[in-house]
Amino acid sequence: MAAAKEILIRRAVAATIRLTVPAGAARPAPPVGPALGQYRLNLLAFCKDFNARTQKYKPDTPMSVMITAFKDNSFEFTVKSPSVSWYIKKAAGVDKGSARPGHLTVTTLSVRHVYEIAKVKQTDPFCQYMPLESICKSIIGTANSMGIKIVKDLE
Amino acid sequence: MSAWNFIKHFPCNNLSRQILRVRPHCFFTSSTHTSPFSISTSSSSSWFTESLAVPYLSVRIHCPKHFVDPFSEALLCFGASSVAVDEDIEEDDEDATSGSCFVSKEICIESIFPVDQEVKMCISQAANSIGLKEIPKFKVEMGDELDWITKNQESFQPVEIAERLWIVPEWTSPPVAEAVNIILNPGFAFGTGEHPTTKLCLLLLQSLIKGGEAFLDYGTGSGILAIAALKFGAALSVGIDIDPEAIKSARHNAALNNIQLERLELHLAPSENSSSGNEIPLRKAQFDVVIANILLNPVMELADHILSFATPGATIGISGILSEQLPNVKERYSPFLEDISVATIGDWVCMSGTKKRS
Repeated sequence: MAAAKEILIRRAVAATIRLTVPAGAARPAPPVGPALGQYRLNLLAFCKDFNARTQKYKPDTPMSVMITAFKDNSFEFTVKSPSVSWYIKKAAGVDKGSARPGHLTVTTLSVRHVYEIAKVKQTDPFCQYMPLESICKSIIGTANSMGIKIVKDLE
Repeated sequence: MSAWNFIKHFPCNNLSRQILRVRPHCFFTSSTHTSPFSISTSSSSSWFTESLAVPYLSVRIHCPKHFVDPFSEALLCFGASSVAVDEDIEEDDEDATSGSCFVSKEICIESIFPVDQEVKMCISQAANSIGLKEIPKFKVEMGDELDWITKNQESFQPVEIAERLWIVPEWTSPPVAEAVNIILNPGFAFGTGEHPTTKLCLLLLQSLIKGGEAFLDYGTGSGILAIAALKFGAALSVGIDIDPEAIKSARHNAALNNIQLERLELHLAPSENSSSGNEIPLRKAQFDVVIANILLNPVMELADHILSFATPGATIGISGILSEQLPNVKERYSPFLEDISVATIGDWVCMSGTKKRS
């Protein structure tokens, strides 16, 4: 009876915390420290866990993390790769998108870039079951909304 | 910046609710308090806070309930460092006068910003990007560094690793006085005994150290493994780390456990940026047991280096890796190690083997 009861009880959630942390570089200093320290979560355990799971990304890539803190001070977290717009800006070498997307094109990217970004995005927990083609389409859509054109080949 | 700039943006009929609360002592510009503050806790923890006392801005924002998720994401895009949403709906006492039915539809978000960030602009951009008609009410304060640091330290309890092996925080007395007790100030260097990898390494160490060995702890953090080895009977422990804070922490912990300086050496490994050569002042092939509990990338890059410190026939332990990362590590180390065995706790593994003699 006790075991059945344990399975049925779900841990009470205290808070949901969203953060941006550079891959492989989580340290107990701000912003990680205060954000997690407030809820008495084990900072070092999070840092080690996060750093281990983001080893495969280029160092200092800003990863978005969502942490669910439970009332008993335990926690779970999921790590997402940076937003598509970040990848696009990085690939294009620009800091911001266009001020007037649709009218003003800032720069162009090739289909090859889109494909590489899609491959990284597919490793995200949320995109794993999406076909590569849909991911590419959504990347192209984001690029257009930033005023970045996608061409077949860069000259 | 005066408060009038903010009020201009708000529609008139909501003016009474939307008055911006700005605490008199908070700052939007970059002139911040940089003076180190004095701490009333024991002096041993004062250097932790000096290194971690990076100022930050703590902002509480009231947001309509159904906008919380997109608004949090938007805040992160526009410059917030972190966004936390409490699951219990907060009632802001100062707001009680405006009617409780309104308040229950709002959730309080706690957000952290870097000190030089324009909080108001970030919030208004975030609100605009998701279609909120009004800028949400918010309150900015200087982050209270002491608060989260002390909260974190309070959460450490004695940990039983194995029968008669305990890790005890500095301010608690050991629950089992006759056991091997390692006293630590957990601080902010890795290695409190609670993490699966630390446990794995401690158990490995306990099985390996019979007495009189020389032990190398590569990536020593708080020094926990080096100290444990000495307590188990090793003759000499050496700890190496790239983080000067870790070395300080390890030195402090060694003193807490009454370890004489000759038995525990600590060295700061040069990081890539330092100009002083690549040599750590240690002889090669000197150690009978070497453990490296770091992360996948350092463990792969430093493989030759780590192996060079071990005598032929020595045992080498590698941890800080997830089970999915194990095949890579095995492949990297198997040319040099035989009798490889793997211990697992949860997702974490510790791989150990003996260095080939040839």
